[in-house]
Amino acid sequence: MRDGISLTLIVLSLLVAGWGALTCALNRPAGRSHLVAGAAVEAVTLVQLAVGIAAVAGGDPDAKAMFLLYLLGCALLPPAAGFLALVERTRWGSAVVAVAGLLLPVLVVRLQQIWDGAGA
Amino acid sequence: MPEPVSPTAPSPAPTGAGPGRLLVWLYGVFTVAAGARSAVQISTGFGDAPVAYLLSALAAAVYAVMTVTLARGGPTARRISWAGAVLELTGVLAVGTVSFLAPDAFPDATVWSHFGSGYVCIPLALPIAGLLWLRRTGAPDAAPAGSR
Repeated sequence: MRDGISLTLIVLSLLVAGWGALTCALNRPAGRSHLVAGAAVEAVTLVQLAVGIAAVAGGDPDAKAMFLLYLLGCALLPPAAGFLALVERTRWGSAVVAVAGLLLPVLVVRLQQIWDGAGA
Repeated sequence: MPEPVSPTAPSPAPTGAGPGRLLVWLYGVFTVAAGARSAVQISTGFGDAPVAYLLSALAAAVYAVMTVTLARGGPTARRISWAGAVLELTGVLAVGTVSFLAPDAFPDATVWSHFGSGYVCIPLALPIAGLLWLRRTGAPDAAPAGSR
């Protein structure tokens, strides 16, 4: 379940990153397609958040603080990027989407490392 | 407060739009990343590596200031952005160099360790991009703000 969520998130994010990079290269702002793709990514991060919180419930607060912050960070990244991308009505809005799509997989990989390391 | 730019002088281009939006985005992400990291480290084990954790907190503070000043633009914000980017570049170069020459100085990594290689060297690239961006958006008569 966990690996499935992570893999889905990484693949989806990279697709969004590629789409953002393409529209940036074509000199187009972020639009509805980016918004829909971002919403799909956001939905998966929320599932990940719920599964993650359930998994560490009752554990050592110190050990799980970092883990929960990464979970939260994953869920906050898409809306934050979406806001900036929609405000910026140039190709640079697409660039924000592309960068966000590259950042999220990094967060997901770190999340897995913490999970494996802490054995939570 | 004295206003150094006369009302008739061409005002510099905004720093928070266009490519600047990407910079604001990255600075914002790094503010949250460095801030959350140092907050957790300081609250759960400050004694383990106080210098490293305080440096991470300093980095987070600089990133926060850069995010706000770049997003706002304007003469005062530009001047603070210049100072912030210089401080940031100095910090990442100093901490990066020390972390290679004397690894024992930092028992735990900071955002700036090894020139930010743990963060794909974005911590090194950000202040350079910031300074270039400030120079590009500044009107010719705005240069003294950087050269002091």
